[in-house]
Amino acid sequence: MRLYDIVVLVTPDLSDEDAAKVVAEYRKILVDGGATVVKEEPWGKRRLAFPILRKRDAYYHYWQVESAPAAVAEAERRMGLSDQVLRHLAVRVDEELTRAAKMAERLRLKAIKRPPRPASATGAAPGEASPAAPERSES
Amino acid sequence: MRMGGGSGRPTGARGAAAGKDGKGGPRKKFFVRRRKVCKFCAEKIEYIDWKDVKMLQGFIPERGKILPRRISGTCALHQRKLQTAIKRARSIALLPYATD
Repeated sequence: MRLYDIVVLVTPDLSDEDAAKVVAEYRKILVDGGATVVKEEPWGKRRLAFPILRKRDAYYHYWQVESAPAAVAEAERRMGLSDQVLRHLAVRVDEELTRAAKMAERLRLKAIKRPPRPASATGAAPGEASPAAPERSES
Repeated sequence: MRMGGGSGRPTGARGAAAGKDGKGGPRKKFFVRRRKVCKFCAEKIEYIDWKDVKMLQGFIPERGKILPRRISGTCALHQRKLQTAIKRARSIALLPYATD
């Protein structure tokens, strides 16, 4: 199971309800494929940064989904075939998130070991730096 | 420029800043450069979210290009992450590829 961020852009030609229906269709594909929806955010009608197929805005819909790759691939395939979907994007985020969390943790530990130096930069730095160096190698 | 408040050194993030931090003093004479600090190191943002358009827009000048590191002061590691985030946002029209 992997974590994905998925965004779909639905044509502005549809009414709000019809757009919601299209979105629900893809949600169903994902869920039927064994995905669990972690977050769901309809961003609503938004202005596009540049026109796509002569359209200036689109309905954005965002999911964060925990899923096997196959379900996401299938949903993306269908999105690509549909005329109502202007753009779609699915990004695997679990690896990036864990890496970021790890980095944050490392920074936190480092901050504990070596408290932030005072604003006045009076000496102290050489005496402080040498004991910190061997400690860093073990973390 | 927007990075502002450059006096405080991001103590925790020196490892991430890839050590290549020799731009302490003013390079040209008669110029007092303000010290540029990586925004993400300073605020300890590790995950650069490609959905956060407002934040990304700060790194997109008028023309729509990605603000270079030499101007924003972002560290190499975070610039790389920022780059992918901006490119993802562009692909779904959250950000422009180019404007004029």
